[in-house]
Amino acid sequence: MYKLRNVKKDLERVLLQVQKPARYTGGEIGSIVKDASKVDVRFAFCFPDVYEVGMSHLGMKILYAMQNAREDCWCERVFAPDADMEAIMREKGIPLYGLESLDAIADFDIIGFTLQYEMSFTAILNMLDLAGLDIHAANRKNLWPIVVAGGPCACNPEPIADFIDLFLLGEGEELNLELIDLYKSCKLAGESKASFLRKAAQIEGVYVPSLYEVSYHDDGTIRSVLPKDGAPGVVHKRIVKDLDKVFYPEQFVVPFTQAVHDRAMVEVLRGCIRGCRFCQAGFIYRPFREKHGDTVNKNAKALCDNTGYDEVSLTSLSTSDFSELEPLLNEMLAWTEPDAVNIALPSLRVDNFSKELMERVAAVRKSSLTFAPEAGTQRMRDVINKNVTEEEVLHTCQTAFEGGYTSVKLYFMLGLPTEQDEDVAGIIHLAQKVVDLFYHLPNKPKGKGVNVTVSVACFVPKPFTPFEFEPQDTMEELNRKQKILLETVSSKKISVKYHDSPTSFLEAALARGDRRMCPLVEYAWQAGSKLDGWNDYFRAERWYEGAKACGLDLAFYANRRRAYDEVMPWDHLDYGVSKAFLIRENQLAHRDTTTPNCRQKCAGCGANGLLGRACFG
Amino acid sequence: MAELFHTTVRVFFRKEGRIKYISHLDIVRCVSRALKRSKLPVWHTLGFNPHIYITFALPLALGYESTCESMDFRLTEELPMETVVSRLNEVFPEGLTAYAAAPAVQKPEEIAWADYEITQEFDRFDGDEVAAALEKWCGRSEIPVRKKGKKGERVIDAAPHFQIQKVEAQGNSLHFDMRAAAGSTLNINPTLLLDAFAEETGFRADWMRVVRTAILTKKLKNFK
Ligand code: SF4
Repeated sequence: MYKLRNVKKDLERVLLQVQKPARYTGGEIGSIVKDASKVDVRFAFCFPDVYEVGMSHLGMKILYAMQNAREDCWCERVFAPDADMEAIMREKGIPLYGLESLDAIADFDIIGFTLQYEMSFTAILNMLDLAGLDIHAANRKNLWPIVVAGGPCACNPEPIADFIDLFLLGEGEELNLELIDLYKSCKLAGESKASFLRKAAQIEGVYVPSLYEVSYHDDGTIRSVLPKDGAPGVVHKRIVKDLDKVFYPEQFVVPFTQAVHDRAMVEVLRGCIRGCRFCQAGFIYRPFREKHGDTVNKNAKALCDNTGYDEVSLTSLSTSDFSELEPLLNEMLAWTEPDAVNIALPSLRVDNFSKELMERVAAVRKSSLTFAPEAGTQRMRDVINKNVTEEEVLHTCQTAFEGGYTSVKLYFMLGLPTEQDEDVAGIIHLAQKVVDLFYHLPNKPKGKGVNVTVSVACFVPKPFTPFEFEPQDTMEELNRKQKILLETVSSKKISVKYHDSPTSFLEAALARGDRRMCPLVEYAWQAGSKLDGWNDYFRAERWYEGAKACGLDLAFYANRRRAYDEVMPWDHLDYGVSKAFLIRENQLAHRDTTTPNCRQKCAGCGANGLLGRACFG
Repeated sequence: MAELFHTTVRVFFRKEGRIKYISHLDIVRCVSRALKRSKLPVWHTLGFNPHIYITFALPLALGYESTCESMDFRLTEELPMETVVSRLNEVFPEGLTAYAAAPAVQKPEEIAWADYEITQEFDRFDGDEVAAALEKWCGRSEIPVRKKGKKGERVIDAAPHFQIQKVEAQGNSLHFDMRAAAGSTLNINPTLLLDAFAEETGFRADWMRVVRTAILTKKLKNFK
């Protein structure tokens, strides 16, 4: 039934003119090619960034394999072309296409985007446009393509509500399949797009923004968000209750050209017990659930066998919190060592392990150790509930130095709520203590100096965190604090790197933005924003001009404190964590008081409601 | 980990279709992963970070196809060569096809020539017109071309290092065979010559297909 425009011939004529053509050809091991005439639903899984970034993303790999496991559905991958390829595609009239079939995606059934970070919003518009589609959902009248989006930024999707037909909240495994089932039946019955959307809104986890009306107070805050056509007043995110039973791919698409993370990956757990108050992932992925060690081991073995990767990573927000880690590693080493496969443990706390075990996994083989104290003083770390003490930081560094490392990278945030100048200086003081520690070690690596890199990001308040009420420091204030940092440094062994404050400011505005921002996103795209996650392509001016043209005050979104009772643009979306809990946590933060982690004591966030039982025990 | 290796096998394979856009470096990585998937008893380097050791006789330029590529690796056990071929084909990506395997005979240094089949298409020119110009251009006693090397750019006389044959024009396309110097001492890429030709005459192809069909030794015997 499908006869779409195929771009294979057009590509032949242009691919040798672009950088790294391997990104645009498909045909990788593990990529799935089907007979288009035998499927009912064609799905374009779009990652709004370049191939190397998108191909590193685990969520895409899971959903790709899972959808293709259905006989009636063919899911293809689509990435944002780099600037040189885009220019050629526009010049030659080559539309955006799926990497498996090389068919233009404009006539696919469903186009799905993953929303990983706010600065990729304009890339979505650009990809819709490159596909030859109208960027506005309301102007796309046909049932196909339906444009959907999920991923972490779907927890406040309002700044792109005009462009996307529906959002998928929470974990996608079950939700995507239910959506495809509904779509298929509506398509076969010849139903309209409007009717499909009304029905889709009844699926738990589906948010159809056009079915909600937003009204505002005179001061610009939201008065109400009201559903219509039977849409639910609150949309609840979906989770998978049992990670041992959920689909996990046995095969990945193995890119020819190197991706950012180019290895087998096995997810070991979801959620996080820690509750760091600045961390959105720590809240929106609750509750904490683990796989069994056996499942992880089985997944890892299958993936390595089928992909030929020589490295497998155990991924999660905090792999140290996996309760069966040590037995799992022993089980895995039994086959990884003879097969010459490395085990990588990203985000691992080095001090939890026996030295012998650490030496056998890849985490110790890197030349530089990274560690994230996030704040420089104990008071500040208590405010953000980052349960790390100075002693632990120093102990970890000592272990590393004794193990032969001479380079340490420490991550911090600037502009945290309640931050004083002494907290800022505290960042450098902590780094200095690490330097001093090195020189006082009797068994330090011989003949070498130490190198401590302090990497400082600007704090961005995010929805569904206890800091969703907080103002972001103004750019002037952040710049002033950056100066304090530099002035406090007195050792040549310390180097300071900080992130650009305009990007953080725009992130803050978009993260907590509302629907009135849609014209701004469109303006920025029209003005040339398309890969704003890349410094080379990012221009803040486009956004400032756009805000002026659209009559928006970005400071209203970024730098304003919200009252606890203000209606947030995302209040009609429920991620399991209650607003009452976020308010409680916010108040504790202002009293410099920590909250124990979920394993020590349940803080009553409400996320266990998604499981229908207590999270632990 | 085996300390000793049995034989160095040379596997001959084709590289055809869209995989031509995969660079040599990426092919090396891709093949080493394929070897891993194949579970063939392949020798790994020793040391802290053991990896499969593969070498390629004559890297193929990005965008070229080939029916005569070869790569070498070492086996730690004796195996029928047909098994090596079939196990590789089970795990190769679309476009790579192994067709023979044998213990390596010659050293890559013995490679002197390579044969190519070339098709060019022109949006704005007639094939006959280009054919005439090309034959004239190639027929000169001296053909200076600029070649980039490790020591920067230099001008060499390409005339003794290549020849074209069987030039056939059809509509707006052109087809011919080329034999050109190949190997580690002097490697002349058809693209280098055709770029120089286009620069001097204006006949730049809008599309081109190059297939390497043979790798030859000094005595013009197939590299084995
Ligand atoms: S319900 Fe309790 S244990 Fe579960 S995530 Fe929330 S605070 Fe943690």
